[in-house]
Amino acid sequence: MLAIAGVPILAASVSQTPLNIKLRCTSWQQLANIHRRDLSRHAIFLKASQLPPLGTPVRIDLTLPTESMIVLAGVVAEHVPEGGLGGRGPGIDIKLNTIPESALWLIETALASAAKQTGAIPVTNEAAVDDGQDVAAAEDELLAALTSELDSLRRLNPFQVLGVGYEAGDAEIRAAFAGLTKRYHPDRFTRYTSQELRGLAAEIFILIRDAYRRLGDEASRAKALQAAGARPVVKVPTLRPGPSIPPPPIAGAKAAPPAPPPRMPAGSPPPPVIAPPRAATADPPPSAKAPDTERRPMQVAPPSLGEDPKVDFRSADGLLEAGRYDEALAVFKIYTRKNPGDRTARAGIELAEGLRALAQRDRLEAAQRFEAVLEIDPTNERAARELAEMRRMATNERRGLLSRLMGKKE
Amino acid sequence: MASRILGIDLGTTNSCVAVIDDRGTVTVLASPEGERTTPSVVAWPAAGGDVLVGTPARRQAVSNAAHTVFGTKRLVGRKVNNDDVALAARTAPYRIVAAANGDAWVRIGTVNRSPQEIASHVLRRLRAIAEAALGEPVTRAIVTVPAYFDEHQRQATRDAGTIAGLDVVRILNEPTAAALAYGAHRVSERRRLIGVFDLGGGTFDISIMSVENGIFEVLATGGDSALGGEDWDRRMVERMADEIFDKTLIDLMQNPVALGRLREACEAAKKALSSERETWMRLPFLAQDQDGQPFNLERKLTRDEVEAWTAAELARVDAPCRRTLADARVTPADLEEVLLVGGMTRWPAVQATVERIFGKKPSKGANPDEVVAMGAAAYAGIVGGDDDGAALLDVTPHDIGIKVGETGFSVLIARNSMLPVRARKLFATTSADQKFVSIELYQGEHADVRKNRRLGQVTLDGLPPGPAGSIRVELNLTVDVESIMNVTARELSTGKEAGVTLRPSGGLTQREIVEIISRRREEETAAAATRPIDGGGLTRVPTRELPPIKPRGE
Repeated sequence: MLAIAGVPILAASVSQTPLNIKLRCTSWQQLANIHRRDLSRHAIFLKASQLPPLGTPVRIDLTLPTESMIVLAGVVAEHVPEGGLGGRGPGIDIKLNTIPESALWLIETALASAAKQTGAIPVTNEAAVDDGQDVAAAEDELLAALTSELDSLRRLNPFQVLGVGYEAGDAEIRAAFAGLTKRYHPDRFTRYTSQELRGLAAEIFILIRDAYRRLGDEASRAKALQAAGARPVVKVPTLRPGPSIPPPPIAGAKAAPPAPPPRMPAGSPPPPVIAPPRAATADPPPSAKAPDTERRPMQVAPPSLGEDPKVDFRSADGLLEAGRYDEALAVFKIYTRKNPGDRTARAGIELAEGLRALAQRDRLEAAQRFEAVLEIDPTNERAARELAEMRRMATNERRGLLSRLMGKKE
Repeated sequence: MASRILGIDLGTTNSCVAVIDDRGTVTVLASPEGERTTPSVVAWPAAGGDVLVGTPARRQAVSNAAHTVFGTKRLVGRKVNNDDVALAARTAPYRIVAAANGDAWVRIGTVNRSPQEIASHVLRRLRAIAEAALGEPVTRAIVTVPAYFDEHQRQATRDAGTIAGLDVVRILNEPTAAALAYGAHRVSERRRLIGVFDLGGGTFDISIMSVENGIFEVLATGGDSALGGEDWDRRMVERMADEIFDKTLIDLMQNPVALGRLREACEAAKKALSSERETWMRLPFLAQDQDGQPFNLERKLTRDEVEAWTAAELARVDAPCRRTLADARVTPADLEEVLLVGGMTRWPAVQATVERIFGKKPSKGANPDEVVAMGAAAYAGIVGGDDDGAALLDVTPHDIGIKVGETGFSVLIARNSMLPVRARKLFATTSADQKFVSIELYQGEHADVRKNRRLGQVTLDGLPPGPAGSIRVELNLTVDVESIMNVTARELSTGKEAGVTLRPSGGLTQREIVEIISRRREEETAAAATRPIDGGGLTRVPTRELPPIKPRGE
């Protein structure tokens, strides 16, 4: 997702003062989209509800996933009406003066090398390896990764914390505990300078240990199984039909008008020149009325499941299991359109989106989607598990990076 | 590889240092004189000059008894009014005094020295040995302590490291270290239960562990922090002194020099009797009788005799073993092996007792004097490296709880809880508009809180007004992997917080540590002035007139 910060708030009268817009491109996917749809035509489209006058000069600082920054300059060339520009409107289209050759080269080579690495258009925003990176900075990153992992683990039941199936026996549980202990025991963090790391590892280890304690023997395991049994036990089905959960309180920025989430958000709070950004967890649930195809540029043709009113979104579980995310998504969407109040189905949309993003290795996008699921439906097991797994991977990567840096230093 | 981390066994009678290399081989580092263990003896020569540590200190112990200290590990982190300290004071040739905070210190000449400072000299010696052997500077170490050491004793050990200029990256329990040294190279998928019976110079530990998938998990630990080989020695000295008094009316207890010699002879006899059935003690000119006639001790000593004298000491290992087995919820038959650690386990009667309690012959494979240091070094390899092959799970050795009413003890964290551990408890005010709450923390196994060790107190004042019971305070207690505790109390409506890392009722303050270090520097400078230029410790040329020889005592 693009996020924009620091857009100056300008009155219309001072329209000649240039707008300064910061765009952060956190995934290769987004960069590829910008490149294909905008830069190739020497323009860039920004979603906006209040439109600055034509001719307003604009300066855009575009930060790539590699943290390098490209400066683009242009003027507001067109007010795009709602639905204009292939459904991307409303917003402004900015004609770019010139795109420096070096900037295009940077973007193209970055995209090419990213594509080569993974065979698809990949996303490697995690643990960007930079030789010049300081050990202290790497420790901070590890700290952040551990913090979000801890947060993730707290939402899981003991089976999920240990990463074992509900049918696991003593030996399997002990082996899982052993594996996690070797990675998260606070002593394993003794070698780092940051004392905080050890404390955080201790917190995570306590969760792991408590999970182990609750599954360690037959009797307590039966109890834990029963507790987890409130959720479907077999085969990791994901979505719970049933009473919809009251919406979680939406705070702060989340209270923004439920406009269709802008693909390329721009702007800032009052008075918004441009629509508010989509923050990681502050995302208004996708509106059923305006499925925003712009957000899902990779979507293949939606499967035509017809408009059968009896379509049951539970059938989507099987589709998700089978890895047919687009079809599952379509089912959820149709169901949501019919029952706009059903939070479980709305969570299903986010979940399908998240799984699809994950399949495309857009981890940041996936994480945001899974968090959105949990916001809508805090009991969603699949999203919680996927998120925890992703965060564990992130922690691992950060740790590996730190070890490499430390090894280099010594 | 980062700068190395030493594994140090800071023992009551002997200390040892080991290191792990890049390939994972653990080596015990020998001194330039070829000694693999260093006696934990520190002496301040009466004539001034450098502090002596190890064998040189022990060698001159007889002639400089009042200024030669040993066995001070039993004083570490303890109050002078402690029973064990009183016991040690009875036969110690040096003087034990009370520090300002009641801790047991040692008086050397005119200076009172903490056991931490004394231990720091041993640590410095070990560090020097390691640096000489490795040819590189070393600043980090893992230091072992008896599992049964409490909070204060652990902190004191850490302070000793600080004074010695060593960053103690981890305090590790001795039996755990021993098990690690023993089991690290025998990784098996199968779950194995082992017992570690550690009877050292001054402490007794028994631990039940499980080893599986590279995880060393302590299931339960117990012991007696005031039982060790020195108790055997002390008992022998007492019996011999009584016997001599009965026969000759010479009271050796009043004669520190003679007592020192007798103690050394008893220790040697005990070692000899570990393999022989009888031995001779010969101490010519041990003392003078009333008539000024010299008294020569010459006596045959049998193993049976000594066993009979020390039966009470031996009996003290029984109860902790049984309780620890019960705590671990295992029976002796479940144990695959029982490892012997500590010099005192060479004593045949001890081995027989272990066999009786556990129903199997104990393992004697490893050198009991070195295995702990080797385990500490092995753990240094684990915490210092990237290898995810092993981890160690230790437990709290004592119940930790709070004082309830006058004498009650309410346990918050049961002993043998896996570390790290955390406990929370909510308190409500007991009277209207109560201004403050005060929570006292204790450690120990007695239901009567007064028999337990007081750890400290958290006071939270400035509570908001309200009827009795309306104001709630949450106590948060954490114990980290090294058994170091941290306590906070928080008033729930305002979020006001008070906290302590427990060490208020004993130990050294940061300032005291700095003072000790600067005093040591001064003493070294002073000693350097009297030191001959050459000699390198091989020859000692007196640079001034020796004082006239006279009988020396207190």
